[in-house]
Amino acid sequence: MLMTILSNIILMIVGLSGGLVVGSGFVAFLAVLGIIPRLTQLTKTYRFIHVYEWAIILGAVIVGWMSLRNTELFQSELWLIPIGLLCGVFIGMLAAALTEVLNVFPILAKRIGFGEKIIILLMAIVLGKIVGSLFHWIYFVNQ
Amino acid sequence: MVEKTVYLRLRHRIQVHPNDVISIDKIALIVGEKELTEKLREIILHKIHPKDKNMVVIDVMHVLKAIHKFNHQLDVQIIGSTQTIVEILYEKKKVSPLLFGAVWLLLFIGAGLAIMNFHEDVSMQEVHQRIYKIVTGKKNDQPLILQIPYSIGLGLGMVLFFNHLFKKRINEEPSPLEVEIFNYQLDLDQYVAMNENKENLNSVDDDLK
Repeated sequence: MLMTILSNIILMIVGLSGGLVVGSGFVAFLAVLGIIPRLTQLTKTYRFIHVYEWAIILGAVIVGWMSLRNTELFQSELWLIPIGLLCGVFIGMLAAALTEVLNVFPILAKRIGFGEKIIILLMAIVLGKIVGSLFHWIYFVNQ
Repeated sequence: MVEKTVYLRLRHRIQVHPNDVISIDKIALIVGEKELTEKLREIILHKIHPKDKNMVVIDVMHVLKAIHKFNHQLDVQIIGSTQTIVEILYEKKKVSPLLFGAVWLLLFIGAGLAIMNFHEDVSMQEVHQRIYKIVTGKKNDQPLILQIPYSIGLGLGMVLFFNHLFKKRINEEPSPLEVEIFNYQLDLDQYVAMNENKENLNSVDDDLK
C-alpha cells in the first residue's frame, strides 16, 4: 500500500518535471525562431500578443492530452483539410525561419550576383518543399 | 580672426563609375557658410584608378588633410561615420541562364530532400495517421486528405514568412530576408572599412610615408 502511494508520487514528480522541461524547451524553440513576432508584424496585431501566448499553451496542452489519451472525436473527414493546411503553414514558417535558409540567400545575392532574381530562387525552395512533401506522401511512403 | 566652422558628415557608402573623380561633394554632406562650402565641395580627394579594383575606402582623416591644405584655419566638425566605402561599378557581367538554372534546380531538389528527411526524422507519417484517428475515429494508413492540404500549407507558410507572394508584397515592412541581406552587407562594409582602409593599416614599414 505504502509502496504504491510512494511509487505514484514518484511517477507524478517524474511526469511533472518531464513536462516542465519539454514545455519550456518548446517555448524557447518558438522564441528563437521568432514566428510569433513575425505573425504579429504581418497582421499588425501587437496588442494581442498575450492572446497568442495562450493559443500556444492551450494548443500544446489540449492536443498533447488528446494524443496521450487516445481521444477520438468521430468527426467528418473534411475537418482534416483545414487542420492539414494550418499544420502545413506552421511547419512552413518553421522551415522558413531556420537561419540556415536565411543565411544562404545573402551570399547567393552578393557572391554570384543574383541580386534581383532572389525571389525566383526563393520560389525554388518553396516549390521544392511542396513538391518534395507531396512526393513523400503520395509515392515515397508506399515504397 | 574668428575660426569658421563647417560641419561634415561622410556618407556610408557610394557607388561610382571607373575613371570618376571623387570630390568632397560626392562623399560628404557639408553645412557651413555658403561660399566656403561651395569651394570645399570642389576639392578632389581621389581619382579612381584601375588599381583600386572594385572598392576604395576614404577615411575622414584623408578628407581633413585635403581641407587643411585648402585652408588650415577652418574648424571642421565631423558627424557620423569616419569612412566612406566607395564601390566602383564596372560593366555588369551577365549571369548565365545556365548557371542560374543550375542553382534553381539545386535549391529545388535540396529543399524537397530536406523536407522529406525532416518528415522521416520526426515520424510525420505516424503523426498524420494519429491525427486522422483522433478526428475521425477511423484508421487510415495514408491520410492524403490531411497530407495534401498540409503540403500546400507548407509552401504558404514559407511565403507568408518571407512576405513575398511571388512578387506581390503583403505589406510594407521589410521581410526577414531583406533584413538578413542588409545585415550581411553591413558586416561586409564593416570588414572592408577596417581592412581596406589605408589609414588604419599600420605596418612597420609604413612609418616613413
